[in-house]
Amino acid sequence: MRLLQVSLRSLLLYSLILVLISIPISIFSIRQIINEEADESLALHTNQFIKHIKSYEYLEDLEMDLKIWDQLSYDIVLTPSDKMSVGQRYETVSMYDSIEHELHPFRTLSSTIIIKDKPYLLTIKMSLVDNDELVMALGIVQVILIVLLAAGLLLLNRSLSQKLWKPFYNTLNQLKAYELDKNESIQPEKTNIVEFDDLNKTVSHLTDRNRKVYLEQKEFIENASHELQTPLSIFQSKLDNLMQIPGLTEAGAATILDLEETAQRMARLNKNLLLLSKIDNDQFNEIEEIDLSALANKLLSNLRPMADTDNISIQASISPLSIKANPTLLEVLLTNLFHNAIRHTNANGKVNVNVSDKILTVTNTGNPLKMSTEKMFERFSKEGNSENSSGLGLAIVKKVCDTCRYKIAYNFQDGVHSFSVTF
Amino acid sequence: MKILIIEDEKQLVKSVTQFLRQESYVCEVAYTASEANEKILLFDYDCILLDISLPDGNGLKILEKLRENHKTDGVIMITAKGSFDDRIAGLNLGADDYLPKPFYLPELSARISAVIRRKRFDGNNKISFHEIEVDLLGKTVYVSGKEIELTRKEYDLLIFLIANKNRVVSKNAIAEHLSGDDAELMDKFDFIYSHIKNLKKKLTESGCEDYIKTIYGLGYKFTA
Repeated sequence: MRLLQVSLRSLLLYSLILVLISIPISIFSIRQIINEEADESLALHTNQFIKHIKSYEYLEDLEMDLKIWDQLSYDIVLTPSDKMSVGQRYETVSMYDSIEHELHPFRTLSSTIIIKDKPYLLTIKMSLVDNDELVMALGIVQVILIVLLAAGLLLLNRSLSQKLWKPFYNTLNQLKAYELDKNESIQPEKTNIVEFDDLNKTVSHLTDRNRKVYLEQKEFIENASHELQTPLSIFQSKLDNLMQIPGLTEAGAATILDLEETAQRMARLNKNLLLLSKIDNDQFNEIEEIDLSALANKLLSNLRPMADTDNISIQASISPLSIKANPTLLEVLLTNLFHNAIRHTNANGKVNVNVSDKILTVTNTGNPLKMSTEKMFERFSKEGNSENSSGLGLAIVKKVCDTCRYKIAYNFQDGVHSFSVTF
Repeated sequence: MKILIIEDEKQLVKSVTQFLRQESYVCEVAYTASEANEKILLFDYDCILLDISLPDGNGLKILEKLRENHKTDGVIMITAKGSFDDRIAGLNLGADDYLPKPFYLPELSARISAVIRRKRFDGNNKISFHEIEVDLLGKTVYVSGKEIELTRKEYDLLIFLIANKNRVVSKNAIAEHLSGDDAELMDKFDFIYSHIKNLKKKLTESGCEDYIKTIYGLGYKFTA
């Protein structure tokens, strides 16, 4: 759930509760106010009526007049009473409304008054707003309010998430697309919101620092490999001289051979590490049109004599294919795939190279993998104990594929390993 | 024949000179770019081994200086960096060959003799060893005047061995010379052995003495 949805949900819930609570409270208070107003008005009315009647006390047949007047007036009832005590009483009563043909609430003030020493009960009534209608009207108003509030909040939320959060999503998207080995830094949008600026600053700082460390490490690997080349040369040159010493014994010769093979291993390891870091450093970026089929055929024909000595047959069905690529990288890719296939084929096995529809497939017969498929492409993961294998071949293959955006797939079926590269 | 080695690594220089002296080359050494600049102006060399990264300057500058002074010394660049750009720049500046570190001394020796041959005989040249004669232009081999058929690999192998005559050349050095990167697969196939065997057979069948001696499993020596 999005952050804004969470806050919106709370806001909506709060507004709803508030509105719902406000309905009875407002009905109650409105009713209260109306009653008070009505009571005041009734009191005023009663006072004025009494004053008025008092000023007519001199009339002799006032008693008769009052009786007639009582029958004529609608909202004032004046009837003789036997109670002598003077008092007032407010009450709300329902009465039949002859116009609307229904019961209607009225507020009444009943007062006992003395006119010419005779007690009368004066009742003045006043129509009140119908309770149901009041609830209805208030309810409708509140519902409209809720709808408007919700709609407003939703709209506001949407525009907020689009405008206000734009820099945040911008940074987020850049972070998602961020790759340490690509030379693109994060370009945060300038905002006037402190939190976002803070976030952007931190993100930029973090990624810049990471990249710096990464580049330093890459540079270190490359420098280390370069620096190792010279001592390796010296070592090899000493061996070459050592072989020339007259009177070399068989044991001496065997030791020199072992030393030379070890030196070779070191040299190859170093060469492959250097190659990996050069690919990392983007040093192979010249692209040209290359005849892949010709290259594959050339490389295979170089390998055939070696494979022949172990009775490994290399079969190729290569249809013409030209691609745009860096010549060094493509050759490295093919060489390593072919070497890998030949290295892991049993004696009398078969290596098959197939090129069609922009897909290169290299298969070889051999034992099932002991390691997991994922580990296969990692650096220094070796199958078996082949001394001359650096364990970097497939890592280089993977690196080249990643760099050139080729797709590489591996599977093993019926004793056949198969690598396919889609260009 | 005079060779100038421009290289700051003293141990490497020592090994290279020791190896090349057996071939009756006269080796001079410059450990710095300034030393090298002096020497190339004062003397002519048949071949210069030039390390590109020197403590006091880039070796490519020395190449430029050679060309400015119209010197025709053969130059083999040696570099630890193995960078493609350096290679192109060097070859464009007139270097004759390029050898990345680490290298086998027999390989270096073979390259030196190739460069010297090209400079001396203007490309029209032959090498010979007793009854064997090789026409480098036509890539043909004669034994006592009679042509013998060799495969490409056998021919390369013969040239390599003759360039390193009287010296032990290891199997690894031969494998690398013949197959380059594919030599990595050598552990699985003793394919050098089959090339040597075939070459030996072809030479002896045409009446040539067997000059290829096996040195315990370590390598071979081409010697009379």
